Amino acid sequence: MAKAVLKGAAYALIQANDMALYQGSTATSERRSAPESDFLKELPQHFRSFADTVAYAPNQAYIGNIRPRELRELPRPWYANPLANAKADGKYGAIIDEQALYGLMKAVDVFDLVLLEAGFLAAAKQQLLTLDGVAAWKCLERLDKNPADAAAIAEQLSEHHAEPLYYQQQVVGCVKRAHEFDAALSAHVMLENLVAKASAAFCLQQLLNKSELQADEVEYIIECSEEACGDMNQRGGGNFAKAIGEICGCVNATGSDTRSFCAGPAHAAVEAAALIASGVYRHVLIIAGGASAKLGMNSRDHVKKGLPMLEDCLGAFAVHFAEDDGVSPVIRLDAVGRHRIGSGASPQAVMQAIVADPLDKAGLAIADIDVFSAEMQNPDITEPAGAGDVPASNFKMIAALGVMRGEFAKADLPQIVERIGMPGFAPTQGHIPSGVPFLGHCREMLLSGEARRAMIIGKGSLFLGRLTNLFDGVSFVIEANSGASSASSVAAAVAKTRVGLTIMGSEHPATELVKGAEQAAAADPNLEVVLIGSGVSSELQLIEAADAESARAKLDELLSAGQLDAAATMHYSFPLGVSTVGRVITPAYGKKLYLGNTTGTSATERVAALVRNAVSAIACAKACGNAAPTLGLLNIEGARAAERILRKMQANGYAINFADSDRADGGSVMRGNDLLRGVPDIMIADSLTGNVLVKMFSAFNSGGSYEALGDGYGPGVGENYGRVINIISRASGAPVIAGALAYAAACARGKLPQLAAAEFAAARKAGMEQLLSESCDNAPPAAEQVSAPPEKVVTEEIPGIEVFEIENAVQHLWKHGIYASGGMGCTGPVVLVADEDHQKAVELLKEAQYL
Amino acid sequence: MDLENQARIKDLAAQYGADELVVVLGGAEAEASGLAAETVATGDPTFAGPLAGVPLGLKAYHMFELKDQVDAGIYEDQISMMEMVLDVDAIIEEVKTYRG
Repeated sequence: MAKAVLKGAAYALIQANDMALYQGSTATSERRSAPESDFLKELPQHFRSFADTVAYAPNQAYIGNIRPRELRELPRPWYANPLANAKADGKYGAIIDEQALYGLMKAVDVFDLVLLEAGFLAAAKQQLLTLDGVAAWKCLERLDKNPADAAAIAEQLSEHHAEPLYYQQQVVGCVKRAHEFDAALSAHVMLENLVAKASAAFCLQQLLNKSELQADEVEYIIECSEEACGDMNQRGGGNFAKAIGEICGCVNATGSDTRSFCAGPAHAAVEAAALIASGVYRHVLIIAGGASAKLGMNSRDHVKKGLPMLEDCLGAFAVHFAEDDGVSPVIRLDAVGRHRIGSGASPQAVMQAIVADPLDKAGLAIADIDVFSAEMQNPDITEPAGAGDVPASNFKMIAALGVMRGEFAKADLPQIVERIGMPGFAPTQGHIPSGVPFLGHCREMLLSGEARRAMIIGKGSLFLGRLTNLFDGVSFVIEANSGASSASSVAAAVAKTRVGLTIMGSEHPATELVKGAEQAAAADPNLEVVLIGSGVSSELQLIEAADAESARAKLDELLSAGQLDAAATMHYSFPLGVSTVGRVITPAYGKKLYLGNTTGTSATERVAALVRNAVSAIACAKACGNAAPTLGLLNIEGARAAERILRKMQANGYAINFADSDRADGGSVMRGNDLLRGVPDIMIADSLTGNVLVKMFSAFNSGGSYEALGDGYGPGVGENYGRVINIISRASGAPVIAGALAYAAACARGKLPQLAAAEFAAARKAGMEQLLSESCDNAPPAAEQVSAPPEKVVTEEIPGIEVFEIENAVQHLWKHGIYASGGMGCTGPVVLVADEDHQKAVELLKEAQYL
Repeated sequence: MDLENQARIKDLAAQYGADELVVVLGGAEAEASGLAAETVATGDPTFAGPLAGVPLGLKAYHMFELKDQVDAGIYEDQISMMEMVLDVDAIIEEVKTYRG
């Protein structure tokens, strides 16, 4: 699949004080119930001047003149601390006033619904002629036609249900209804839709002005506001997209509208990127204009608390996605998050679905994302209205999710929130704040190396439409383009994997380990091996350490500081719960086999340890690129019980591909032949057995003193273990050292710790803990004494029962009147019954879960 | 407190009797949670909804207070993250004051 990149973004704000008073839903609701209310009388006294709105720091961030994080340095409330020298023209767009808005509405009004008084019309036309790009719109001709007089406007308002247009508290025009009785074409609806169209067209013109995009290059437009256009037969039939593109001369574009309340823009961005990546189009825009209804939405609280009416601006954006140019940031379509219908509505379930799941899918951690943009509502507006600091809550939730995933320490929460977040700066226009206002800044930060990766999150409250109580959320990851200048330190750091190797304490001379390191480095140009020890000379970087102990201490230090991505070392002390997954070469066909586990303790109880080893080994194989490894359990004590639990987890939704033994009787419990042939991709054993097996496979020709084959004892893996540390032994020779370094690098690149966390989470979801605790309860022979039925000649073997459960199984059959005895068959323990009892006995044992 | 929810709680109390009901809150901050607890105990303090002047005397608990009453796995899955995000102590403190 080709890459889709973020090519440009533009933003516009349109101050509309009178529209807030006459068309904002808060003021119009008040007017309906209490037309003489104090609130309506007071509201105009809280209007800001255009200059104050321009100098408002969050607005300057919105149009790109300051970075959102610069707002942290400015004292709150921001409205009380205007920026000096603020400009209405910004890096990504512009701020204009209400006169220009009415002029734009008249210009884009194809059906002659907007009437403006002659003097106002002329002034508006003059103003539009000063706006870059807009001045050249062909549709400005409409401002030369049909000026209205005050009487005509008054008649429309009093007789024909027109919607008034006020400017500085005077009626200067109106929007007529588009149909006599069609509610979908009422004056109110037409005004909202013309506002959305005019503000979006103005913003699209900003994109054309401020980027290299040519109007005729655009092939597709996705409009993602929260309005609906259509008539009574298809109230939201659409299409805003083409109507807006038409104004700006996008003659080669088609388009359509996408809706999902505040999450709409995030959906639209994913759709745009997918259309590019699939090769359908090369240039796709997502655009949205502003919502007149939301002007002054929280103004009741603002008035009550003596604040200015801060929601005085319509917001708009236009974002350009294009085919890969080798430079612009890339949309990671493998890391798209979606809140599924079945995800659940608790904040935790939502964040899991839209933050954790997509990162897991792409093998990324929360810590791999430098900055998140989610619901960027301006807290100056929301806090006085009792809605809190919305973006701050989101960043806290993301950080808390990271704590739950074992990525961060709980004590570090405040610092993490600071690191991944930014202050909210967007007007509270629903779809406008939802993630997208950051795209312009994001593009610049990713281009400059200020950040490597960002996640954009859109969230929507679907209950507002009264059709469902479901929530919605969509996210996507954007990252620096690796095709950008290869000299960039960011790109280089991403490409090279640094693996440390302690070279002290081996039974071989240190030069043997250096030889292995040099082989590994020569085989993989993106692998950088860092030697830790002393007394050797090599082209590789050497960090001095006098002995084995100080080398390990140094290694820990480098890993903690993030200076190494992974390590290979001897005798590392892993905590309980962490055990290693080795990788050996099986002799029959030379196939590599993951052995889980080979050292360390994943659990103190045997069956639990085997089950956990399986989950760890699956994570390991996946990290190294085997997306669906096959798994077998070595025929040892506990294997049958572990298999039963794993199969139940599989039935509960945990994905396991069980391997089939090469032996005629099949099954996923593996025998000696299967081991020698490497039948499964992963072989599960207990730690002592696994350890012996690595030695056997790697050193069978040297009597154990020189390990010549395979990749060593493997990385320590655990549920919340954050490091990649591969174990080698004191007998490991150069080829095994080289293999272990390559294995460690592959695990680091494959994000093994995150994959392991995800695998264990999935296993838990499938009931692993519950199943393990039940198996512990059943394990000891607790059966009451049952006397044996009359003895029979038993000739039929029933294999597959766990050895420590054989006696219980026999007693269970006795209880049901079937004579049975335990024995040892050629492949393991068996229950023996008479021929005529065989079928019934198998049924009983299955029912009681011995089989 | 949401007017529709006030109506629903009032109806439930009429149907089952106030002795048979407790109210479980999931509010994200102390003030709003306290307001809800107060509304179901002594009546709507804003005198806007169906519970204005109707002291049902119901006891309200925030979900955070009921941690030990519910399945630990479900709590872990659904709520534990928010324990880190919200001011749990302040919320519980505020809700408690209205239980008399």
